[in-house]
Amino acid sequence: MNLFKVIIRNIEGSAFRSWVIFFCAELMAGFLIAVTLVIGGAQDSLRLAIQRLGADIIVVPQGSEAKMENAFLMGAPARMWMPEGVVETVRSFPGVEAVSPQFFLSTLRGASCCTVPDMFLVAYDPQTDFTLKPWLTEHLDDGLRLGEAVGGYFVYLPADQEYIQIYGTDIDLKGNLASTGTGIDQSMFFTFETARAIAEGSLTKAERVLEIPSGSISAAMIKVRPGVDPHLVAQTIQETIPGVTPVESTNLFRSQQTYLVGLLRSVAIITGILWALSLVLIGLVYSMALNERQREIGVLRALGSTRLTVLRSLLGEGLLVAFAGAAAGIALFTVAIYLFRHAIIQVLHTPFILPAPLELAGMALGGLLLVLVSVGVAALVPALRISLMDPAVAMRE
Amino acid sequence: MIELTDVHKSYLIEKNRPVHAVCGVNLHVDPGEFVIITGRSGSGKTTLLNLISGLATPTRGKVTFSGREIWRLPDRQQSLVRNQKIGFVFQFPSLIPSLTAEENVMLPTLFNPGRENPQEAARRAVALLEQVGLSDKRRAFPRQLSAGQQQRVVIARSLMNKPDLLLADEPTSDLDEQTEKEVMALFQEIHSQTKITILLVTHTRELVHYGTRSLHMVTGSIDSAPTAVSAAA
Repeated sequence: MNLFKVIIRNIEGSAFRSWVIFFCAELMAGFLIAVTLVIGGAQDSLRLAIQRLGADIIVVPQGSEAKMENAFLMGAPARMWMPEGVVETVRSFPGVEAVSPQFFLSTLRGASCCTVPDMFLVAYDPQTDFTLKPWLTEHLDDGLRLGEAVGGYFVYLPADQEYIQIYGTDIDLKGNLASTGTGIDQSMFFTFETARAIAEGSLTKAERVLEIPSGSISAAMIKVRPGVDPHLVAQTIQETIPGVTPVESTNLFRSQQTYLVGLLRSVAIITGILWALSLVLIGLVYSMALNERQREIGVLRALGSTRLTVLRSLLGEGLLVAFAGAAAGIALFTVAIYLFRHAIIQVLHTPFILPAPLELAGMALGGLLLVLVSVGVAALVPALRISLMDPAVAMRE
Repeated sequence: MIELTDVHKSYLIEKNRPVHAVCGVNLHVDPGEFVIITGRSGSGKTTLLNLISGLATPTRGKVTFSGREIWRLPDRQQSLVRNQKIGFVFQFPSLIPSLTAEENVMLPTLFNPGRENPQEAARRAVALLEQVGLSDKRRAFPRQLSAGQQQRVVIARSLMNKPDLLLADEPTSDLDEQTEKEVMALFQEIHSQTKITILLVTHTRELVHYGTRSLHMVTGSIDSAPTAVSAAA
């Protein structure tokens, strides 16, 4: 027999106290990991999306900013057009290093000529592109050719098919971009040449024609020269070109970021209240349980247990149960987040990326420690009070 | 072995309302004595035992056990003395409910820094349970034992670390007459076999013949001079 065995037996013997601590720790740790996964993942997601777009400024038709953000964020197809002359105008501005136009298209919903319905499609100009280029250079030696595309992280070939059919045209999926957790993961990228071939083919092969208005583009991606303030360039565009809106990458998904900050604040308040209530409950239950065991503690002291041993034993009981509860909570909530990720994204209207296993392990460990420290503090006061009590008094009460 | 000189103990039950539990007690107990202290409830018997074991601190006077004032020692040393030199039998059910009879008997070894190996401790616990007539109950939890059986387990536990002194506080107060006799006979048997010093307090005067000496306490004081009792009860 050893102290650990006694602790385990006492945990089994104080079922009510043990379950209360278990559930409180489970909730505390679970809530904490869930909040960290969703909110932290959402922030990571936005950061990666901005990185993936790779532009300092995106120029879109006036009033289409929200549509563009929603397309990149949630993968909701968006179509918008503005004169292609915008590209040359912007290129002439001082401080602009590169400008590349893009088309925003979408597949048809419920049509047999499109393998995937409602997919956001982005066509780029390979001559001027700088957003996909780094990835293409690294993964495809010759870049994308006619009829080829790269997909977001979740774009895949349907079973038993070699191509993805878009408006009746077969598209060869050459690779997938890294996950961003946003709508980019469900989007497909190909060249202007491919887009025009799809549009031409749609005249005969598709249930509806894909229209790309002549002399129009959906957006212009802008990279500024090193040392140039993108805000000044955006300001010049705003003042000089009518009918367009320049969106700086730092302001990209601004509404989403504001929403996230609000969400974080609300969740932080709820988490704080939950933690405070849990700790008060643990302290109370601990206090009640120890009051019931006061005589038993007195007996242990009479049998030769030091104050420190009593304290260690009482805290050990609480911490062991809290450890089990916190571990269960972390496991349960993490699995739930993984399983119901898409439902959560739909409810919160916020995409989020899940961390790598090692990062997740770090978060779990941090959560576990935080819960243990908190439960330890909640249990410390009653445990200290009873371990410092005069044994004769403890036995008489 | 035990020396009490003009010992007083007062409790404050309310502000400025002290209760004098022990008033000016002088007592000397030699090694190997079996002293029975009688007295009514509230006469200070339990407090006297607590003072001797260092579980309570005297308000005034001097209490020594083997020449040392236990209550003045640091917590670790006090605990060590109680663990290795003193065995306790309480008037209330004092077994740990979550442990079996055998584990309860082994409990004092847990607090012994130079503890014997667990196999040896388990062997001794079984032997002690056998000595108190409960070898078949070693795996039973306290709730599965009668009051008399529980008290026997407590007695076995009190002997686990081979103490020099056994303090028994109303050990038969919850027992029926027959069980009371059995338990008292057990104390007597332990005393005659081990020559351990025993201080037993009870409110039942009829039990004094089990000891080698008896004392009577009235309102915190020892009523009369120590009385020798025939060892052959």
